[in-house]
Amino acid sequence: MNPYLSIDTLRNCLEGVIPAGVATCSRDLVPNVSYVSQVMYVDQDHIALSFQFFNKTRENILANPLATVLMVDPDTAARYRMKARYLRTETQGPLFERMKARLAGIASHEGLVGVFRLRGTDVYRILDIEAVPGAELPRQLPGRAILPALRQCSERLHNCSSLEDLVDNLLDALDRSLGLSHSMLLIADRPGAKLYVVASRGYPSSGIGAEIPLGVGVIGIAAREQVPIRIMFTAAEYAYTRAVREQAIAEGLVDALEQVINLPGLNEPSSQMAIPLPGIRGLIGVLYTESQQECRFSYDLEDALVTLCAQAGLAIQGLQLADEPRLVAPPADCLCIEDPLADASPDPLRVEYHDRDHSVFIDGDYLIKGVAGAVLWRILNDYRERGRVDFSNRELRLDSRLGLPEISDNLEARLILLSRRLQERSPFLRIEKTGRGRFRLLLQRPLVLVPMNPCAAPPPGGISQPAASADQA
Amino acid sequence: MRISNVEGPLDPSLIQFLTSQLSIQVAACSDAGEPTLARALGARMSADGHRLALMVPVSQARELLTCIAANGHIAAVFNEPETHRTVQLKGNDARIEAISAADAAALGPYVERLARRLQHYQVPEAFSRAFYAADPADLVAVSFSPSAVYGQTPGPHAGEPLKPGKAP
Repeated sequence: MNPYLSIDTLRNCLEGVIPAGVATCSRDLVPNVSYVSQVMYVDQDHIALSFQFFNKTRENILANPLATVLMVDPDTAARYRMKARYLRTETQGPLFERMKARLAGIASHEGLVGVFRLRGTDVYRILDIEAVPGAELPRQLPGRAILPALRQCSERLHNCSSLEDLVDNLLDALDRSLGLSHSMLLIADRPGAKLYVVASRGYPSSGIGAEIPLGVGVIGIAAREQVPIRIMFTAAEYAYTRAVREQAIAEGLVDALEQVINLPGLNEPSSQMAIPLPGIRGLIGVLYTESQQECRFSYDLEDALVTLCAQAGLAIQGLQLADEPRLVAPPADCLCIEDPLADASPDPLRVEYHDRDHSVFIDGDYLIKGVAGAVLWRILNDYRERGRVDFSNRELRLDSRLGLPEISDNLEARLILLSRRLQERSPFLRIEKTGRGRFRLLLQRPLVLVPMNPCAAPPPGGISQPAASADQA
Repeated sequence: MRISNVEGPLDPSLIQFLTSQLSIQVAACSDAGEPTLARALGARMSADGHRLALMVPVSQARELLTCIAANGHIAAVFNEPETHRTVQLKGNDARIEAISAADAAALGPYVERLARRLQHYQVPEAFSRAFYAADPADLVAVSFSPSAVYGQTPGPHAGEPLKPGKAP
């Protein structure tokens, strides 16, 4: 193997901009040549070719595993010949899903939507790469150096002292250092088999609280397979339209999703990338970025974001642990000293709560559901019954009525979600962080708490309410 | 092994397609079963419709030419970029010849036409000119009599023998 030519430095040739040629030959020495829609980088020693149709190439490699690929750099027109040996075919899993998503973009780019159907991912070991002599265009300087930008982003994350800080800094750093101006961070709700948006940047509406099921669209597939997905061209079947989500529900992939909060996002992104945030015990969430520009995200940028997301995943876990005030025991009952209703308007705030899905409506408008909804209802009831306004994450975590999963409850992420939804939707009701693992309820109007469908036996994890009638605080 | 679905001269409509300045890749294999490939820059059909010649830059195709000289087996794929119409031809009597003055003169129009075709995909002309650039002095003609023709337009029928008279 030529020691100076590595596929690591030639990945630009594998973006599917110009189809590669692949030559094989049968056992009885009949050559075959065809175009291949996608040659995908696997690692420095392996590539994968898309297997879409049963054809001669397929027949040949099963009999004689040697193949030669002729590929071209879409910027400089430099050509390379790569010899490879077929190893295996994967028909499901991360590599397969990565290729399938990329193929959808390539099919769209080539005007062949509906023609391509990925049957398998053929994995090859690279044997040799040879530069083919010929005219080349000068290589343009890259618009932005990725490694220094990655370092800046990494330093921003390193200095974050709270989860909320990290969530905001991550998206801000991506925008400032890498020019990724449309992005969102979603946190995994593993028991619910879905992800919810905790922060977004670059959209008219934040979409905080919007949900996407595991396995649906670029984000859902990246989460389910825990693999980065990068699409270079518009791929309608991977967009997050409402129709996609409704289809997922209709097919029983997930329970009813939150339908009131629309997922933020560009209508027809030309480039998409979703990167999982890994944690020690599994998936933490997914970072998603998109652009109106085709081929906006390179392999190198994908590497940078995978590295950054590995740091972010661990940082989120670390900050969640650090958020527990273990050394200082919280006061058992912190009664309200301040009068939060000092500037109260006389009109009461009507808060409705539905046991079934823990959804909360304020003055008739949907606010939140799930764990975040249950937490809000719990603290509002504490306030009404005992006048409490100061709460700790730990007491919520220990409250069996909230039904938080024992592992990876992501309580802090849910509190960020709740806090931001309140900021967006309810100027008279807020929660505010007051210290590590502590927060305060801020109210500017009196409360009317209305349990909408109390039942004798509350669902697991639900909050039981003694009274069915409206109860003014 | 001889594969054949071609008898006599190629269909005129197929000849017209093959010589209409398409994107061409040529493959061969060594006697040890190692495949190789290179780009060809133009195609010419003999007057009797029996023998097709492909213009191949020697500097880009040394291994290919060695294989062809050794066993004469050849496969060539012809693709019309803007329509995806694709045909593969095979033969087993390939030989290497010098190009003619007409072949050398055809190189310029070939590059020009392909550059126009690729503009369909917003490929800049400068890129196409670099991609297909060749010195006529570097070209040889690889000629063969096609013994099999396959339709290879993307889709479920890719790879099936092309029936005589049927458009690719």
